[in-house]
Amino acid sequence: MNDFGHSLPDGVDIRVWDSTAEIRYLVLPLPPKNVGDLSVVQLETMVSRDSMIGVAP
Amino acid sequence: MNTAHDMGGMQGFGPIQETEPNAPLFHAEWEKRVLALTLAMGATGSWNIDTSRAARESVLPAAYLNSSYFEIWFAGLQKLMLAKGQITQAEIDSGRMLQAPAPISKKLFAADVPAALAKGSPVDQPTDTTAQFKVGETVRTIVMNPIGHTRLPRYARGRNGTIEAIRGFHYFPDTHAVGVEEAQWLYTVRFDAAELWGKDTTASAVYVDCWQSYLLRVA
Repeated sequence: MNDFGHSLPDGVDIRVWDSTAEIRYLVLPLPPKNVGDLSVVQLETMVSRDSMIGVAP
Repeated sequence: MNTAHDMGGMQGFGPIQETEPNAPLFHAEWEKRVLALTLAMGATGSWNIDTSRAARESVLPAAYLNSSYFEIWFAGLQKLMLAKGQITQAEIDSGRMLQAPAPISKKLFAADVPAALAKGSPVDQPTDTTAQFKVGETVRTIVMNPIGHTRLPRYARGRNGTIEAIRGFHYFPDTHAVGVEEAQWLYTVRFDAAELWGKDTTASAVYVDCWQSYLLRVA
């Protein structure tokens, strides 16, 4: 994750899912702070490939 | 086979280069053609997904590590078509058809592509057998070094874990890659990260989907 430019603080539980079969796993990213009033369309612009694989800051 | 595609635990490659937030699906026009070629040839039924993975994995390691995603796809496709007699090396070298096309049993037409993609190619199968392991049970993965295709990464062989979930009854890729349609129970196995990487790991756990014959009962 450091190689992706995303360092986590100590104490965060890191679970790695290796997709070795035909089952695929998608990460539901935590919302960034202060997004309470944003619309779905605005929120969609904040979701990247990296956030879907769990490595976006 | 233990080669360059099985990268779990390998080090020294440096930082991930490409972290643009909205990475394009394709980085060059030819990549679209390789995807289309691969889908079109896959739809002929000449091989299955595990055969095509095995073909990509058989690219020599030095070339594999120097190739992009779709370069590896293209190399794998050429290997499969050569093996099936659908192209010749002379045709690859010249970029031209030099012999009559080999007959194929199915064709994918452009209008049918969205429906074919939406349908997919499920590998789970019906069964009247019962899964050998239960959720929460401790298991140990086998040690093996097969010369063919496998989905058990090197880093997860000979390790203890616990059954996290039972995922159904799926074609066994190791033999499906050579055309044998036999299914097994598939499990998600949770490994303590320290069991795989040692006590200095920063991860908590790694989950790997394992077919039943990868697993041994731990008394």
